[in-house]
Amino acid sequence: MAMADIYQNNYMSMAPTERRFEPYAFNGGNILAVAGEDFAIVASDTRLSQGFMIHSRDHPKAVQLSSSTVLAQSGFEGDITTLKKHVKIRIDMYEHNHGKKASTSAIASMISKMLYYKRFFPYYVYNIVAGLDDVGKGCVFSYDPVGSYEREQYRAAGAANELLQPLLDNQIGHKNMEGDFLPLSKEKALQLCIDCFISAAERDITTGDCVFLHVIDKDGIATKEFPLRRD
Amino acid sequence: MAGGAADCSFWERVLAKHCRVYELRNKERISVAAASKLLANMVYGYKGMGLSMGTMICGWDKRGPGLYYVDSDGQRLDGNMFAVGSGATYAYGVLDAGYSYDLPIERALALGQQAIYHATHRDAYSGGNVNLYHMKETGWEHIGWTDVLKLHYQYKNEKK
Amino acid sequence: MEFLIGFEGKDFVFLASDTSAARSIVMFKQDQDKMTPLGKNTMMAMCGEAGDVAQFSEYIQKNLQLYKIRNGYELSTKGMMNFTRKQLAEALRKNPYHVHTLMAGCDSTDGCSLYYLDYLSSSVKVPFAAHGYGAYFVLSLLDRWHKPDLTKDEAMILLKKCMAELKKRFIVTLPAMMVRIVDKNGIHTMPPLLEKDYVTMDTVQDGEPDRSIVRPLIL
Repeated sequence: MAMADIYQNNYMSMAPTERRFEPYAFNGGNILAVAGEDFAIVASDTRLSQGFMIHSRDHPKAVQLSSSTVLAQSGFEGDITTLKKHVKIRIDMYEHNHGKKASTSAIASMISKMLYYKRFFPYYVYNIVAGLDDVGKGCVFSYDPVGSYEREQYRAAGAANELLQPLLDNQIGHKNMEGDFLPLSKEKALQLCIDCFISAAERDITTGDCVFLHVIDKDGIATKEFPLRRD
Repeated sequence: MAGGAADCSFWERVLAKHCRVYELRNKERISVAAASKLLANMVYGYKGMGLSMGTMICGWDKRGPGLYYVDSDGQRLDGNMFAVGSGATYAYGVLDAGYSYDLPIERALALGQQAIYHATHRDAYSGGNVNLYHMKETGWEHIGWTDVLKLHYQYKNEKK
Repeated sequence: MEFLIGFEGKDFVFLASDTSAARSIVMFKQDQDKMTPLGKNTMMAMCGEAGDVAQFSEYIQKNLQLYKIRNGYELSTKGMMNFTRKQLAEALRKNPYHVHTLMAGCDSTDGCSLYYLDYLSSSVKVPFAAHGYGAYFVLSLLDRWHKPDLTKDEAMILLKKCMAELKKRFIVTLPAMMVRIVDKNGIHTMPPLLEKDYVTMDTVQDGEPDRSIVRPLIL
């Protein structure tokens, strides 16, 4: 008997060694979206990692789906790629079949169904859809991996969601505070998104390198980059 | 509906579709008994695969008001009063203390609201707002969307 | 913590079931009917896994109804039992129904009969039977007190005896029992037996102590 077998098994009981295929990984990073009166902002970092290893410092987590919709994803990169491909194909099909562009709410509802379709072998992906709705107001839709979704004003997801969400609850949601508050300006929202990622990069090892911003308004989608710590 | 968020919202949507199709085919609204049985039969097909839902289906049909409990085991019960979810035991405590079949509507609404409030107070997984609906013969009416914080201080003042 | 009990009498079969509908630690209902009529002179009581009971009992009942429509006559009690048993046996090797059944019927060929079925598709014709934890307490009582020529009144007293024992020794209370009697004339629903009617062990009726509870010493 090989020594390795003796170490792997309980020598006396000779229990069989179980081998399992692990179909999921976690590739870190954070995504965040904020909706204003007539704009929406999507922010995400560009680091792709697994465990203690950084695979890429320049890998955007958000993608433009239409002239007024952006999808941000975090979780398992393999599922992210697959889901993103399918979503893009379905949006193209929608435009060909109906002769019109898919609205943000239509895309949001479609993604929910695509996630639930894999209810018993889920996509390990946290999705946030942001953009402008049918009347030009900013909107954010957030999901769980099996397709439960909700329209919200702001949402953070990913490895450091426990760090980011309370900050947004305080600064945008004004949770558990009394008094009147000014509506959120685009400038303040933008700076807040950047600050969020600076904080996340400070404490979460999977967040860093660069934060990528999509600003969606009636003029289209503008992108910005802001460097983060790279260690 | 209580349990898995995606399971509940997805199957509620599928049930709504079936009910609408029934209405179009039969020129008549589906009964509460039939609607609840549709859901029970659908989820029973997925028994043991990990669906998690506890639901109540209420409405009004030829038989008058109807209330059914349906869960992801496929269990379907009719009754006059149910509480479902992780805080159901707390809600039942309040409900049983104040319930009678001939409760006036105002009292019934207040009792329901109070039961949910007490459930949110003790159960960590429940909270936020208390949503109230009144199911009438003519259709549902949304009665209120109340922050539990407001109820908390209101009940606290009443105790003094 | 469900409980079913049944026994044969002189020319009838007696079935009783508890009335609880529960999940986890919550009791949802106290008036659940666990019995299903299968024909004019046949019925069954079923308990077990939530969902399975409703689906399986309806499947059996509707198929037996279909049999009657197609053929113009009902299956005998034995036939119904064999049909049910076969469905359970076939399901057992695919996805089993976790259901426990008592089937009671009276017909012209076999007279009155009671069948005990479990989810493993064992089926036995028995003079008396019980399902659930309650069975551990009452089977001995039935061994002691049951006789084939039981009258309907005696049957009711025997049920009361069983329920009194459960009230005394079983950790779970069964607040009410639904009672039905099937004979050659059909299925008769009796008033439910409530907790206050569970007489003490040594009482027969009207509070009279039953001296015959202890048999004479045999040497």
